[in-house]
Amino acid sequence: MADTTPDPDVTDIRSDAPRRIRRHSTRRRWVKTLTPWLFISPFIIIFCVFTAFPLMFSAYLSFQEWNPVAGLASMEYVGLDNYRLAMDDPWLWKSLYNTTWLALVSGIPQHLIAIPVAYLLVMAVRSGIRQVYTATFFVPFITSTVAISLIFYTIYSGNSGILNQWLVAISKWPVFSWFLGWVEEAMPIRWLNSSDLIKPSIAFVVIWKYTGFNIVIYSAGFLTVSKDLYDAAKVDGCNAWQQFWNIALPMIRPFAFFAITLTIIGNLQMFEEPYVLTEGNSGGVGQSGLTASYYLYLVGWEWLEMGAAAAISWVLFLFIAIVTAVHFYFNGKKGLGGDR
Amino acid sequence: MARVELVNLSKSFGEVKVLHDLNLTVEEGEFVALVGPSGCGKSTLLRIIAGLEDATSGEIVMDNEIVNDLNPRERNIAMVFQSYALYPHMTVEENIGFNLRISGVSKAEKRERARAAAETLGLTDLLDRKPSQLSGGQRQRVAMGRAIVRNPDAFLFDEPLSNLDAKLRAEMRDEIKHLHHKVKTTSIYVTHDQIEAMTLADRVVILKGGVIQQIGTPTELYRNPANSFVAGFIGSPAMNFVDATLETSGGQTTATLQDGTKLVVSVDYAALGRDVKLGLRPEHLELAANSATNAMPGSVRLVEPTGAVNHLKIKVAGQNLTVVDDTLADLALDAPVHLSIAPEYIHVFPKDE
Ligand SMILES: Nc1ncnc2c1ncn2[C@@H]1O[C@H](COP(=O)(O)OP(=O)(O)OP(=O)(O)O)[C@@H](O)[C@H]1O
Ligand SMILES: [Mg+2]
Repeated sequence: MADTTPDPDVTDIRSDAPRRIRRHSTRRRWVKTLTPWLFISPFIIIFCVFTAFPLMFSAYLSFQEWNPVAGLASMEYVGLDNYRLAMDDPWLWKSLYNTTWLALVSGIPQHLIAIPVAYLLVMAVRSGIRQVYTATFFVPFITSTVAISLIFYTIYSGNSGILNQWLVAISKWPVFSWFLGWVEEAMPIRWLNSSDLIKPSIAFVVIWKYTGFNIVIYSAGFLTVSKDLYDAAKVDGCNAWQQFWNIALPMIRPFAFFAITLTIIGNLQMFEEPYVLTEGNSGGVGQSGLTASYYLYLVGWEWLEMGAAAAISWVLFLFIAIVTAVHFYFNGKKGLGGDR
Repeated sequence: MARVELVNLSKSFGEVKVLHDLNLTVEEGEFVALVGPSGCGKSTLLRIIAGLEDATSGEIVMDNEIVNDLNPRERNIAMVFQSYALYPHMTVEENIGFNLRISGVSKAEKRERARAAAETLGLTDLLDRKPSQLSGGQRQRVAMGRAIVRNPDAFLFDEPLSNLDAKLRAEMRDEIKHLHHKVKTTSIYVTHDQIEAMTLADRVVILKGGVIQQIGTPTELYRNPANSFVAGFIGSPAMNFVDATLETSGGQTTATLQDGTKLVVSVDYAALGRDVKLGLRPEHLELAANSATNAMPGSVRLVEPTGAVNHLKIKVAGQNLTVVDDTLADLALDAPVHLSIAPEYIHVFPKDE
């Protein structure tokens, strides 16, 4: 703007004019260079304080031994000891195994349920009613994880939990008694207090909480598929299933890629559900519910080994990065729509 | 191949009635063009025939069987969509071969037929591309390919060439004509381009506001338009319309233009009443001497050379008439001229039409 309006000093050309022009343009160039930085400075400051600094600090910490309660002065350089210690700790490996198990078992069903449900919602339900359904499915996602986990904690309870009560009731119904006959004997089933059942119980809560979110994503995906394509497919002789399989499903690939990426990253960081459901008690019986984040929390805040916790967090980061990279490598090009 | 028959077919979208009691028979192997202004229901009609849309009332009959309740797959009709509707995630070859794949045709045969169709349409170099990597005209040809690769009972074309340049369009037109000669599949062809309609079709159907105005061979429509809409729609440049009053005396019918010029018209029109509209085709108007029959004085407003002929705008009786001048006369603007037209070429329509 300032460039287009004539500068009164400059237009008034006298003997000393050339020098003045130079001085003016130098100052202007500085203003020009600095202005954009000024505008993006809020982000840069926030990024440095809350992202870049903690990142580097945790990298630094991972080579120190530090009890945060004892103050900064208690920091002591230990080299790679923290990493060595973490690698030797069977709990780390156990927690990584549990994390992977939970990520798969609680992740895959979310998508296997969400995709057909979203498709039916988009294809068969009027838009107004669809929105009511979608909103309902979305409620668990915006509800506090701790609250949900507490509710499920009571549902799973061995003696008074509604789940066991229902199982007993159902097992007495005519047909169900055939294959639920064993239920009476097995009571009380300790969903959260036996090493075999903890992980499935946790997985169910996670599925219940996040399926709705995926339904929303997939609904958005199916809505982007133009009706024309289904028409063309019908004329090409597709039945309903072939339309879904050959048209709808490939068309929402970018959405699936996005949703699966979120699931992978979210599930590998799973913490609240196992923490609440195992009462914060070191991952429950036999550490069956101990996830990597949960372990990280124990090391840092229960055992006050900040250095070791930092090292573990970097191991966890590496783990997530590798899994995500593999996912990107195999699904990335098609998933990001690079083939369209 | 099939005979397609529409019986009292109507279609409404909610309150809006889009098609009104259509009756049309397309004989086996016939090529029928469907023309009409935008929004008159052409696409809707094709979609109903294809089975993508239900008729509100009336029947669709194919080979004496009512097919209202059959789905598109069972009707075995191929359709080229106005919007192309290509599958974005499939290559050109997969797009063209999709129907064959769904029908369980063997891989080798599918490949061969898809390639043959691509060859016909000049798409051979593009077989591995995705639709997003094609130009509009190329996409349109892929959409054509998806239809011609099949062996359907009927073809429905919804403006299949609208996006091609003039040269390619002429080539494709010939290709379609050739194809139809070869396989004789019943075809219904929607177009805005009357040259396409006239050159391709055995019969032309003119639709306006969901009502059929006239059905006939191209020549019939050109020579004997049923009303002023058909007359204005068929022929290029479009027919001129001028208001006139009609009088019959002594076995001769005369039309008087607003400036008092008198034209002799065919006696058959006497029954139309006093106030009428004359339809004068630009190619039937000629520059003539003052003394010629049906001479009309006017002045030159515009000369548009098109190469072989000039299009003139001549102001007659306060109205600009388009004239096709094949003599390529050298005319100055505002020069006074006379136009004449043979009485048998003058069409007369009721004024309030
Ligand atoms: N699904 C629909 N709901 C409501 N009205 C519709 C629907 N589809 C089409 N119409 C209306 O029906 C009329 C006919 O539409 P159609 O698409 O058949 O026109 P068309 O003759 O193919 O026009 P064009 O030459 O522009 O393609 C239009 O007025 C349109 O607005
Ligand atoms: Mg249309």
